[in-house]
Amino acid sequence: MKLAGLKSIENAHDESVWAATWVPATASRSALLLTGSLDETVKLWKPDDLILQRTNTGHCLGVASVAAHPSGMIAASSSLDSFIRVFDVDTNNTIATLEAPPSEVWQLRFDPKGTILAVAGGGSASVKLWDTATWNLVATLSIPRPEGPKPSDKTSSKKFVLSVAWSPDGRRIACGSMDGTITVFDVARAKFLHHLEGHYMPVRSLVYSPAEPRLLFSASDDTHVHMYDAEGKTLIGAMSGHASWVLSVDVSPDGAAIATGSSDRTVRLWDLSMRAAVQTMSNHTDQVWGVTFLSGGGACRLASVSDDKSISLYDYS
Amino acid sequence: MASVYIPVQNSEEEVRVALDQLPRDASDIVDILKAEQAPLDIWLIIAREYFKQGKLEQFRQILEEGSSPDIDDYYADIRYERIAILNALGAYYSYLGKIETKHREKEEHFILATQYYNKASRIDMHEPSTWVGKGQLLLAKGEIEQAFAAFKIVLDGDHDNVPALLGQACVQFNRGRYLDSLELYKRALQVYPNCPAAVRLGIGLCRYRMGQIDKARQAFQRVLQLDPENVEALVALAIMDLHTNEAAGIRKGMEKMQKAFEIYPYCAMALNYLANHFFFTGQHFLVEQLTETALAVTNHGPTKSHSYYNLARSYHSKGDYEKAGLYYMASVKEISKPNEFVFPYYGLGQVQLKLGDFRSALSNFEKVLEVYPDNCDTLKVLGHIYVQLGQTEKAQEFMRKATKIDPRDPQAFLDLGELLISSDPAAALDALKTARTLLKKGGQEVPIDVLNNLGVLHFERGEFELAQKTFREALGDGIWLTFIDGKENYSPVEASSSILQNKEIHLFQQLEKEGHLIELPWTKVTTLFNMARLLEQLHNNETANLLYRLILFKYPDYVDAYLRLAAIAKSRNNIQLSIELVNNALKVNEKCPNALSMLGDLELKNDDWVKAKETFRAANEATEGKDSYATLSLGNWNYFAAVRNEKRAPKLEATHLEKAKELYTKVLAQHSANLYAANGAGVVFAEKGHFDVSKDIFTQVQEAASGSIFVQMPDVWINLAHVYFAQGNFSLAVKMYQNCLRKFFYNTDSQILLYLARTHYEAEQWQDCKKTLLRAIHLAPSNYTLRFDAGVVMQKFSASTLQKTKKAADEVRLTVAELGNAVRVFKQLSAASNLHFHGFDEKKIDTHVEYCKHLLDAARVHLKQAEHDEQQTRHKQEALRQMALAEEARRKADEQRKFQLERRMREDEQKRVRQQEEHFERIKEQWKSSTPGSKRRERSDIDDEEGRNSEKRRKKGGKRRKKDRNSKARYETEEDEAEMMDDREEMEENYEEPRDEVNGQDDDGEENAKDPLAAAGLEDSDAEDEVVPGATISRRRQAWSESDDDDDDEQVEKQPESSPIRENSVEMRESDGDVRDIVDKLDDAVNDED
Repeated sequence: MKLAGLKSIENAHDESVWAATWVPATASRSALLLTGSLDETVKLWKPDDLILQRTNTGHCLGVASVAAHPSGMIAASSSLDSFIRVFDVDTNNTIATLEAPPSEVWQLRFDPKGTILAVAGGGSASVKLWDTATWNLVATLSIPRPEGPKPSDKTSSKKFVLSVAWSPDGRRIACGSMDGTITVFDVARAKFLHHLEGHYMPVRSLVYSPAEPRLLFSASDDTHVHMYDAEGKTLIGAMSGHASWVLSVDVSPDGAAIATGSSDRTVRLWDLSMRAAVQTMSNHTDQVWGVTFLSGGGACRLASVSDDKSISLYDYS
Repeated sequence: MASVYIPVQNSEEEVRVALDQLPRDASDIVDILKAEQAPLDIWLIIAREYFKQGKLEQFRQILEEGSSPDIDDYYADIRYERIAILNALGAYYSYLGKIETKHREKEEHFILATQYYNKASRIDMHEPSTWVGKGQLLLAKGEIEQAFAAFKIVLDGDHDNVPALLGQACVQFNRGRYLDSLELYKRALQVYPNCPAAVRLGIGLCRYRMGQIDKARQAFQRVLQLDPENVEALVALAIMDLHTNEAAGIRKGMEKMQKAFEIYPYCAMALNYLANHFFFTGQHFLVEQLTETALAVTNHGPTKSHSYYNLARSYHSKGDYEKAGLYYMASVKEISKPNEFVFPYYGLGQVQLKLGDFRSALSNFEKVLEVYPDNCDTLKVLGHIYVQLGQTEKAQEFMRKATKIDPRDPQAFLDLGELLISSDPAAALDALKTARTLLKKGGQEVPIDVLNNLGVLHFERGEFELAQKTFREALGDGIWLTFIDGKENYSPVEASSSILQNKEIHLFQQLEKEGHLIELPWTKVTTLFNMARLLEQLHNNETANLLYRLILFKYPDYVDAYLRLAAIAKSRNNIQLSIELVNNALKVNEKCPNALSMLGDLELKNDDWVKAKETFRAANEATEGKDSYATLSLGNWNYFAAVRNEKRAPKLEATHLEKAKELYTKVLAQHSANLYAANGAGVVFAEKGHFDVSKDIFTQVQEAASGSIFVQMPDVWINLAHVYFAQGNFSLAVKMYQNCLRKFFYNTDSQILLYLARTHYEAEQWQDCKKTLLRAIHLAPSNYTLRFDAGVVMQKFSASTLQKTKKAADEVRLTVAELGNAVRVFKQLSAASNLHFHGFDEKKIDTHVEYCKHLLDAARVHLKQAEHDEQQTRHKQEALRQMALAEEARRKADEQRKFQLERRMREDEQKRVRQQEEHFERIKEQWKSSTPGSKRRERSDIDDEEGRNSEKRRKKGGKRRKKDRNSKARYETEEDEAEMMDDREEMEENYEEPRDEVNGQDDDGEENAKDPLAAAGLEDSDAEDEVVPGATISRRRQAWSESDDDDDDEQVEKQPESSPIRENSVEMRESDGDVRDIVDKLDDAVNDED
């Protein structure tokens, strides 16, 4: 397996690019790359030449996360002012503006069927679930507080939810927090199941394997990527190699590899059978905030975005 | 049997004397000889016979009788025989003198011999045999040149005088002219082919000395053919056999030596060689006996020296250095010049080295070196001695020479490399590499410690791949390879911390169960440890973890491995596990200063101040104050204690600072090059406001720290930036912070971003400040302080924009947007405060919200006005443009009119000329046409006037407003940036109120007390100046100490984390530890080598 650079756009945004995801292809158009930046814009790019399709404005403060509906019709973006903007991909019409004060908004993820939008709720120590038909808040999955917290105890703020991931069947949600714990919820019953321990620093990205539904990957500031059996509560393996925080992780569509982006300015490709990094891309000159695989439609693509304002596209084979 | 016949005097009869039946008492014979007046040659024959039979006393008696004055008288004519007798006596005494060991007797014998020869000379000056005898005597006395003269006299007379030839040969041999000597021996042999075997011995020796070993061997063998019992030849052959250095040769040699010994047990040479042999076979008892005999039988200095040497060696090898030293000394004493026999000097040097007498050893080895200036071993030993004496440069010089002389001696390169490790790593690396290549070429295995050192050197130079390769080579095959190559992975384990810690042990046990052999030789532990360190450096912590665990699995007392594991856990923020690991290390050695220091750090991280201080104290005591790290930690502790409290108690602060300074200074006194202590001292100076001094210190530290990969000192960059900041040099501070972020933190440190933001804030670069804060929020989302700060920045930006005298509507629009954001941020914070996410005071946030809303309202008004203004301006511009157009039109009309006027005038004239007759009517018409024109002109004049007036009016209004603004601006600088609005007063009150209120609360809640200060910190820095006398210093200090008053709320509890030096200590532990580790390893290696 290897990555081959296809295209890089310097100064794709005016400021750091913080988020990226692929919008699936629809009947009328191919898949698009959706990126969000500190410059308060969201941009849509057409592969493989990364031609800018549109620039969406409307956010204040930086855009921290973007998510695309599995239908490819709608997408959501969130910014540091804790607003979520849901919009039509093709027309840029605003469908809904969501907020759930005092909860902040961090990572966004649509469930695989596209009925629910899960939002990492920051200091509210919860994951908020929004119905994608009515755009109403349907559930709040709260992380149970540790027993007997003292009022002055500031540990409470440590369960700050940063990241969220759906299991491929849509029955589970895993969320990662600032203190490194990963919490698994049963979506249907809106119930806390268990914690996955092993990280003690922020978990900024989580992703389930499409091939093995129980397999969960987590990227943490402790420079490691962990592999968990999310159901069995077991740590299957830990992979080290990045020199600094691991900011983003995504699994290849075939489930055989993961890609990670790190503060150490590299994108790494890991062979899961060897549990070792097989390739390191160092074309970025600053922190790599997002890596995302595009599946379907023949060739597999990986995109990475970075604080250096650039976007890179690779061919994965 | 032969007999002599003594003629009976005066008769024909003869007395027959059987030579083998000579009487015991020589007097009988003498009597007969005297009585019969036997010819003197008979005397000689009989005397010689006695000599041959070993009856020396009788021999001497007869000859003495034969040379008595009576005889001289009686046989006065028989000169030759008399001379012969005297010469025989002379030769006899020469011989005695030669073999006599006691000095006085020896001299006496020589004197007697001289007397006899002189007597013989008196009989006949020219008798060659006398000269030969004299020559021999001189030779025996060691007066070579005189002997040469004596023999020359003979040879000048008779070229073929065999004894003289032999004598001269001997002289030449002693003079070292072996070729000449050989010629002389050959001539003697030609002249007298039947001469005794000894002549051939001489030839053999000459050949031997000339290096013609084979010819020498032939000669010696010939000697043995002629005289099978010739000890010298036997010994010589034996020596030659021994020197072949082959087992068979040595055996043959020893057989010969033994035979010689049996023939003649007192040949010192043979004894020495036998002793030498038994030394090598380890039979020290025999060595001692033989050498003692040898010493007893010889007086020959070199031989004795050899014997002593043998003896000394024997004791040396037995480990009795005292005795060995004495005998070496004795041996040395027998040697007049070291170049005769240098081994004992070497031995003596070795013994003295062993006994620690480096100076004496040095002088002895230097003597050896004089003789053999190119002897590698000696050079190396000298190198070592200089190392011991601390003269590294000299040591290096010798080692370098050794490597130059024998560039194929791996040992020399190894020694050189080890010597250079501390001073010149690059050269050391080269030397060790050469050594490795040489060892490999020689088919030898490269010792593991050499590879280890090589690896470490590569490691230190940052050549990680090479280092890894080298360590791998050093480690060879073993269970670790499966880990390093990642073939073995954990089996899934329960992801809970307690078991996590033991998973490796389970893994090892499981591997053992599966039949894998888990072995780790002790010699490889160090290298394995270094390998693990390298993997850590390469960020492969997982494997490093496994390797440390493997070490501990086999050697549970290996403290360093625990500490590294703890460091890894700490770097992953797993404080609990880290503390457990350190405690494990402390179980092994409860006074391990490294472990204690680390524990202290961890306790600080857990906010356990008192405990941490105690731990640092314990660490300090464990090393009796010698470990600078513990002292430094205490210094840091004091510094934190000084600045931790926002509510500064000046007394306490001063005490703590003083204490911190004292501790830093102490460390600096011990290790003047301790960067961390210098950094600490710089910080204290900065705290006291001596920015120039601290800047100097920081700059130096920064320069010094940029050399090694093991020294990472971001703190000094930060501190330097702080100083720039405090001195108001914002652009440099920004650059410094940014470089630091990029260089050391991969831009991930939100704290430095906060410093950066603060600098932008002071520099009034609001947008940069906001962007920086947003980045910081993105990095540290749970830090609500950052959000608060972002809100404040937006507020400040808006306020300052609204204060501007001239503002574009776009600017105001942006301001409105920013105020909206600020309101939202504050509102969110306010809402979140209900949930106790953060420690902000709700009221204060509400104040901000209110204020921002006010601003917003004002801004909206401003916006309207600005828009209005803009519109008006636009209108005015439009009007002006219109006016300009009108003017233009008028001007054109005027021109037109003039033109028309002229034309008309011309026409008029023409008309006048043409139509004079219609004069009256025409004049009437002219009046009619001119009146409307003048009316128009009047009107335009009025217009102009009006325009001027309005302009004036506008100007006045502008002035008025400017004045307004001036007064306002003054007010603002005095009080605060505050407010553009009319209800300014009210706002101030609002603003003042919470402050007072909270100040009142100070006593109740420390925590709350900080909030308003923090809020004020950003906005009221000027106001504070008014309140606090000597404001600049305090403000600077404030700026310095944290440079983020805005951040202090909530931070106070966490302050250690935010303090720059804190990280310093954290880093330091690691780096310090690393260096120490490696140095230890090297030391170990060197020791091993020894």
